[in-house]
Amino acid sequence: MRDATSVRVAHYLREHGFQTYVVKGGVAAWRRAGYELEPVPHEDRLVLPKFN
Amino acid sequence: MNELLELLRRYGYQLVFANLFLEAAGLPLPAAIILLTAGAMSALGWFKVYWVIAIAIAGMMLGDLLMYFLGRWTGWTILAFLCRVSLNPESCIIKSAETFYRRGKTTLLFSKFIPGLNTVAPPLAGSLNMRLTQFLRLDVVGVSLYIGFYTLTGFLFSQQLERIGQGLTTAQRIVTWVLAVALVGYIAYRVRTYSKNRLYRQVPRVSVYELKEKLDQGEDQIVIYDARSHGYYEEKAKRIPGSIRLEPASIEQVLDTLPRDREIYLYCT
Repeated sequence: MRDATSVRVAHYLREHGFQTYVVKGGVAAWRRAGYELEPVPHEDRLVLPKFN
Repeated sequence: MNELLELLRRYGYQLVFANLFLEAAGLPLPAAIILLTAGAMSALGWFKVYWVIAIAIAGMMLGDLLMYFLGRWTGWTILAFLCRVSLNPESCIIKSAETFYRRGKTTLLFSKFIPGLNTVAPPLAGSLNMRLTQFLRLDVVGVSLYIGFYTLTGFLFSQQLERIGQGLTTAQRIVTWVLAVALVGYIAYRVRTYSKNRLYRQVPRVSVYELKEKLDQGEDQIVIYDARSHGYYEEKAKRIPGSIRLEPASIEQVLDTLPRDREIYLYCT
C-alpha cells in the first residue's frame, strides 16, 4: 500500500484526537508536480558511521 | 554429484572461476561444493590444487571488489534496498551500519562462511568508505581462509567426497527449509499489515496540489510532518519545504509535543 507509513501514523494520531491528513503520493508526488523541495537540515540528518 | 563432476571435467578452471565470481556477486551458487569437488579432483590428478586455489581466490575477490565499488558508488542504496524487507527499515540500516563499523574488520575475515553475510559484507565496506587497500588486505585473508578450507578438505578427503557432498547437500536443504519457513512467516506478516492498513483508509487524504494551495494561501493552521521511515541518512536528502521530521518508530514519545489545535499533514515515500 502506498503511503503506508504516513497512513499508519495519521490513523494513530487520529485515535489520539489529532486532526490529521495524508498527502497522497508523498514527497514523490510533490516532486513530480514540479514543486520545490528543501534540503534536509544538517541537524535533522542521521549520520551513519564511516571509516574515514 | 556426478553431474558436477562431469561439468568440472568439461569446463575445469573456468567453471571454478565463474562460480566463485558469481557467488561473490550475490548469486546463490554452491561455491563450497564446487571447491570441495575441485579439491578432490585435484587429489585424483585432474587439476593442480594450487591453480584451483589461485583461480578461485581471483574469481571471488573480483566479485567482492565489484560489490565493494557498488557499495561505494551507490552510498546507502544497497543497504537500504536490503533493509526494505525488514520490519523497521531505518533501524535495520542504522544497526547494520553501526555493527559493521564496530566489527567490520573481523566480519570480513569470516563472512564467507556465513550465507547472506558473505554477500552483504563487501558492499557494506564500500558504503562505509573503508579504504580500498584495507578492504583488499582483509578480504584476501577471508577469501583465502574460505577457499583454502573447502578446497583442501576436498583434497584431503577425496575418498569420502560423496559422503561430504551429501552432508553439505543435507545442510543446504535444511537452510533452504528454514529460509522458506521464514519467508512464509514474513509474507503472512505483510498480508496482515496490508489488511490492517485497509482499515486505515478512513484517514482523509489530500493531493499535493491541495496542500500547495493551502501553503500558498499562507494558512497558518496547518503543519506538515515528514514521516518517512528512512532516507534521512542520504547526504542529498530533500523534503517538502517547512516540514518537520517525525520518526514513525517513536511516535508515542513525541505525542505531547504535537499541536492539537492545527491540521496535521503527513507524508512519506
